[in-house]
Amino acid sequence: MSDLVKQPRAEPTRQTHRGVTLIIVGTLSAAVAFLGVVQVRSQAEVVRSLEGQDNTSLAFLIDDLHRANDALGAQAGELTARRDQLRLNGAADADPILQDEGQRLRVVEGLVPVHGPGLVMTIDAPLTRLDLEDAVNNLRASGAEQMAINDHRVITGTVFRQDGSAVAIDGDAARGPWTILVIGNQDRLAIGADLMVQSLRSDRRVRQAAYRTEPDVVIRATVSERPFVYGTS
Amino acid sequence: MIASLRTLDRRRVAGYSLIALAALLVGFGSAAQLRSKLVTPYNRVERNQALVRSVQDLERTNAVERGRIAALRGEIAGLEGDAARRSDRTRELAQEIANLRAHAGITPLKGPGVTVEIGNGRPSPDGQIGYLATYQDVQDVVNLLFTGGAEGIAVNGRRITPLSAYRGRAGTVEIDDGPPLGAPFRIAAVGNQGQMEQLLGDGGNLGDLRHRQREFGVRFSFGRSPELRLPPYDGSLQADNAQPL
Repeated sequence: MSDLVKQPRAEPTRQTHRGVTLIIVGTLSAAVAFLGVVQVRSQAEVVRSLEGQDNTSLAFLIDDLHRANDALGAQAGELTARRDQLRLNGAADADPILQDEGQRLRVVEGLVPVHGPGLVMTIDAPLTRLDLEDAVNNLRASGAEQMAINDHRVITGTVFRQDGSAVAIDGDAARGPWTILVIGNQDRLAIGADLMVQSLRSDRRVRQAAYRTEPDVVIRATVSERPFVYGTS
Repeated sequence: MIASLRTLDRRRVAGYSLIALAALLVGFGSAAQLRSKLVTPYNRVERNQALVRSVQDLERTNAVERGRIAALRGEIAGLEGDAARRSDRTRELAQEIANLRAHAGITPLKGPGVTVEIGNGRPSPDGQIGYLATYQDVQDVVNLLFTGGAEGIAVNGRRITPLSAYRGRAGTVEIDDGPPLGAPFRIAAVGNQGQMEQLLGDGGNLGDLRHRQREFGVRFSFGRSPELRLPPYDGSLQADNAQPL
């Protein structure tokens, strides 16, 4: 009897529980599906955003990487030849190989006078330290192998300081008009120099900006060697 | 009674399954619909997939070539060391070249120094890209560290050499022959810690970076390390057009 009495009371409770369960199951399923889709699509989106934004940027990047890989291939080829020569002739060939390497490194570090094809850029403007640092980087990115600004040899690591209206290059004061001597691949350099000259001519401070290619640019200025005080190999 | 209960259970399970299935479909559908409004249409993305694959292939080749160069330089150093053990003249030359190589950045360098971190800030609602760290930020910090007497510098493990150049689009920097490096940038410099820290802390330096730090939350911090280890440069250091006079 008591069961019969309880039965009508229990039924709505069970139905309510069932309804709640159904809602929970449904909500969870929808949430799982939603999150699944969002996750998959988000991962694809991240990959896309990491790999490139637009075709123009990608095309520039491909061009840069092609050039970089060509340079790396050439360097690897040169090193392979040097290694093979050392393997073949051992100590007998070591001295001339080391001397060649020393000469190459002295050129790279700006320790010796150099010459070669390149260009001469002239700028009549009150350029600042930042302008000169940008000019050096732009020319370097355009293939400059060696540079001098107003007869001061410049490498990455050369210190430019603003000194009133002058710019101290490794401690020596220099001021405009500026003459930048550059040695490197003339075709590549000309592309960078064209862009630089266009940009400079649109600058109100600049009275004149031009460049000319030269078959043999001579740079006599050198960088002083700085021994390491803190660093060790 | 038992049979009717089983029928009831089966119906209930079938009901749950139907609801779950329907809910899944609704979930998939709504998520796909929502995301399709946010994500670039796939056909537009598909157009640059070939270019993306080219970039990835070239980056793989780049890594292989740099690994090859590092291995060759190691082999050559070993062979030169063997030769130096047999001759005093060769030993003198080898020491001279080791010093030149160290200054060119093609051998590892260790010592006390400072590290600088530069990272992207908060995207601005008006679409300005000032919040992104740039190659000019890296260039300015590296130049400042050289001004402070840095003897060797590496950016995200990429060693700076006397011929190094920086380029890139906002948020990335390409250095020399390497692949693009993404922000955050960690610049490690071995040298006089006091001098480098003083310049980095001087509010008169790195004006653009400090301005964007205030405006866009671009991250810029630095600190000293008792011993940093800089890896050797693993790229090309050829200068074929410049010849000694």
